Amino acid sequence: MRTARQNWWAAGLLAPSVGLIGVFVLIPIVLTLWLSLHRWSTATPFGDAEWVGLRNFDALFSSALVGRDFRQALRNTFVYAGLSIALLIPLSILFGVIVHRAAVRGTTFLRTVLFATYCVPMIAVAIVWSKLYSPTEGPVNQALGWFGIGPQPWLSDTGTALISLVFLNVWQQLGYFTVLVVAGLTQIPPSVYEAAALDGARNVKLLFKITLPLLRRTLLFCVVIALINAIQVFEPVATITQGGPVGSTNVLTYHIRQVGIERSQGGLASAMAVTLLLALMAVVTLVFALMRKGDDR
Amino acid sequence: MRPSSPRTGPEDDQWRGRGSVRRTSRYVALLLLAVCALVVAACGSSDDDKGASTASGGGSGDKVKISFLTHWAPETVRAFERVTAAYTADHPDVEVEIRAVPFADLLTTLRSQAGGDNGPTMASIYDLWLPELVRDGVLSRAPAANAAEVTKEWPANLAGAASVDGSTYGYPNEVDLYALNYNKALFRAAGIADPPRTWDELIADAKKLTKKDGDRITQQGFGLISSWAAGTVHPFTSLLYSNGGELIADGRAALDSQQAGETFDLVDQLANKEKVSSAQMSTADANTTGPYLENFVSGKTAMIIMANWWESALRAGMRGRFSDIATAPIPVGPSGDAPHSVSYSWLTVVNGKAGEAEQRAAWEFLAYLNSPESGEEGHSAMAALLQSMGILPSRTSDLEAYRGDLSREFLKAYVEELPNAKPFPIVLGGQEFTESLQRNLEALQAGQMSAGDAQERSQADAESVLETAAG
Repeated sequence: MRTARQNWWAAGLLAPSVGLIGVFVLIPIVLTLWLSLHRWSTATPFGDAEWVGLRNFDALFSSALVGRDFRQALRNTFVYAGLSIALLIPLSILFGVIVHRAAVRGTTFLRTVLFATYCVPMIAVAIVWSKLYSPTEGPVNQALGWFGIGPQPWLSDTGTALISLVFLNVWQQLGYFTVLVVAGLTQIPPSVYEAAALDGARNVKLLFKITLPLLRRTLLFCVVIALINAIQVFEPVATITQGGPVGSTNVLTYHIRQVGIERSQGGLASAMAVTLLLALMAVVTLVFALMRKGDDR
Repeated sequence: MRPSSPRTGPEDDQWRGRGSVRRTSRYVALLLLAVCALVVAACGSSDDDKGASTASGGGSGDKVKISFLTHWAPETVRAFERVTAAYTADHPDVEVEIRAVPFADLLTTLRSQAGGDNGPTMASIYDLWLPELVRDGVLSRAPAANAAEVTKEWPANLAGAASVDGSTYGYPNEVDLYALNYNKALFRAAGIADPPRTWDELIADAKKLTKKDGDRITQQGFGLISSWAAGTVHPFTSLLYSNGGELIADGRAALDSQQAGETFDLVDQLANKEKVSSAQMSTADANTTGPYLENFVSGKTAMIIMANWWESALRAGMRGRFSDIATAPIPVGPSGDAPHSVSYSWLTVVNGKAGEAEQRAAWEFLAYLNSPESGEEGHSAMAALLQSMGILPSRTSDLEAYRGDLSREFLKAYVEELPNAKPFPIVLGGQEFTESLQRNLEALQAGQMSAGDAQERSQADAESVLETAAG
């Protein structure tokens, strides 16, 4: 049983890190909450903030321009995150299994190539992909032309702009999640596969009956991290599309910057940030709850 | 830990434990105190530091260090560095640093840094941003001598655009307006002799100039820019002004007028009904380049309404083929009387949060930069920098000194239209107003909204923005 002395020691040792977290995480969160209840221009001191209660939140869910733009940005953000996860997780499992199987030749090379994309800064990725996606001069459309597929509008069309950014995100992040999956696969004892093989299980059955169930924890971590990364998307939007066309790529991080800094509406932007935080907490809690439900079953 | 006394037994253990707890709590308290001290030190630095920075002239010996925030391209920044080097050679007590950011980051950088001690001392800003920066107390009011110079040496409308409530806040530097840019080679190939002067001619010519591969436009007759607020809204406003309409009249949104309705209809015709404009071919990126520029440069866009400043980009992209490009006044709408381009200006302002010495040095530097003494043959160094980019200078003496250059083929239409140009309304909430109109125009161009709906929503959004901004 832990003694009071041990508790004090633990507190003492934790104090520096907890103190720093308090300063750099909790205080900004509390400050953002406080600002979300005020009308405040970001170019003025906090003392100039004027109390407006829940009026900023009310505006976010109104039918006025502010509310429409916010809800579109929120919807775009979650569509972007959902599509990113839907593509990233299966692909990282596929590549993880390939890379993990030493029998397949060239896995070291594949692993290097996959992870290399994660090392490239997103800003550079965004600039390069904006040129690749160019509707008239871009190599992607030229490559499609070799297969008889006509030029695609990519970033220039409201229907394809967001998914084009998702492809860019998947390309950059895939290596990282593949490495996570490989790490998860190494934790599965070979004896489990041997036992299943003795029972007659083969490739696809092994994947669905052994690999995926035993990768649940790793995949949960991947989903949560991919979700958080996707919700923080900013660089490709700021560099390439600036939220357009017609707001189809306007995601919340970019919109918050636009409202908070360019338009100087700090209180409103804080209300958006608080709403995003609450939405994110709700989604992550839902993911954990679903996972726990699966465990109980 | 060794006991502090040789006593042993249960009581001793208890005592020893309490003593350790006391010591531990003291350490914890000390640690917490240290963290608090760090926080207080971090939060309470500004005023003292500012005073120290001012007193020491920016911490670089006796020199006063000032900085200039701009969005100019690297080659212009290099030319500007030569100007600052010449100035600091004559003023060894001043050091001028140039900070360049992409256009899309200019306002963000200004807003996020202006309130701090390390913010830029001077910044080049779009006149639309002025009212809010003044409201937030970010800008320094021009000293009397500088204000008098601006009033005397610049045209009244531009001096007015650098003022709020009668106080001058900066030196106007560039003035921009819009004209129809067209590709003469494509016009010749289509058998069209002259540029369109009316909207009917614009549509007719655009149809002749458009080429399609099935439903896909391979050469667009007219380019409607998207994904860039000014690039979308300024050409629309030029067409609206040339149809006798206004964006804002008597402080209220005026997009519900008949003239505005006709202008929304024109956009609808070009983009959706006649399909002479391709949304995919005219998007812009954060650097105000992108497909809209590439397609005009490569001869896939026949006509576009653009500002004078893009001349340097066209020259760089087209090289020998630049001579194919010509400019003409904005085509006039059915309710308009004459071409009226929208105009806007840029001005250089001084950070009101900078130290007193820095502010004084900044205003002195700006007076030099914008005066004929800093340039050659009667023009200012600022005018030379602007002219290198194809931008019209604004000081009366600069316009006179550059009279010969300003009559060149490309700029001719712009310069001739200058007296008829009408400024973009400078109001609180102007940026948001522009972005809301941009969004509705893009939706119209993309066929997501009818012209009537776009007009109605634009008016409602504009009223909401202006009302909120007025507070």
